[in-house]
Amino acid sequence: MQKTGQHEKAFNALGDPMRRLIFEKLRSRPLSVADIAHGLPVSRPAVSQHIRILKDARLIRVRRSGTRNFCEIDPDGVLAMRIYLDNFWDTALAAFKTVAENQTDDE
Amino acid sequence: MLKIRQTMNKTEIKPIRKEVVVNTSQATAFKTFTQKMDLWWPRTHHIGSTPLTELVLEPGNDGRWFSRHEDGSEVDIGRVLTWDPDGLLVLAWQINGDFKFDPELITEVEVRFIPEEAKRTRVMFEHRNLDRLGGTKPVESMDEGWGYIMGLYKDLADSGI
Repeated sequence: MQKTGQHEKAFNALGDPMRRLIFEKLRSRPLSVADIAHGLPVSRPAVSQHIRILKDARLIRVRRSGTRNFCEIDPDGVLAMRIYLDNFWDTALAAFKTVAENQTDDE
Repeated sequence: MLKIRQTMNKTEIKPIRKEVVVNTSQATAFKTFTQKMDLWWPRTHHIGSTPLTELVLEPGNDGRWFSRHEDGSEVDIGRVLTWDPDGLLVLAWQINGDFKFDPELITEVEVRFIPEEAKRTRVMFEHRNLDRLGGTKPVESMDEGWGYIMGLYKDLADSGI
């Protein structure tokens, strides 16, 4: 199902600390690639790569304004946190089940 | 301002609901979920600045829920709202859409442990009030881009999620 694939993409995209940081920066306002790269401890090409992954996951989108490209949160990307949490709890609850079933029952 | 808030309140994001059947007693399921959270919490998921060393949920009402890190820091996730062993646990998840702890934000994580057999427990999970994740920024602090923000909310509301 296409939607599931998109959720997985969004989840994986936000699983990376650097991409979470970029995503956070964009939550306040749209930024140029240079603005995003400013202050980040990674190279410009690496930032571009992160942006591409976030874009593919439809968390952000890139808009051209004059001669510069601006990145902004994709409107659908407002749902990113829900998608992130949904996947997170799936992973966490599966791990919880495994651990619970391996406990020596006290009773 | 009032109008903006009303518009925001219309934004509804469905709760996350999960159901897991665990082949263990209700008491063990509750204990594992609460006191042994560190054993099952995905290690990659935290908002600390150094790697996670321990995930802690303090037992009892108002118990702290936080992560410990390699640099010795403790980072809050939320707290216990309802501690009712071995059947019910309600936690406040207070990490916002910017992956920051926000003491003003409360989204509820409710976990019900329903005994079905001696060694079979149904765990009903719900993470709700998710609409609050995106709508907690005070209107007064928004110095720009209201049209932009409201566009996002409108699209979100229209998408019906």
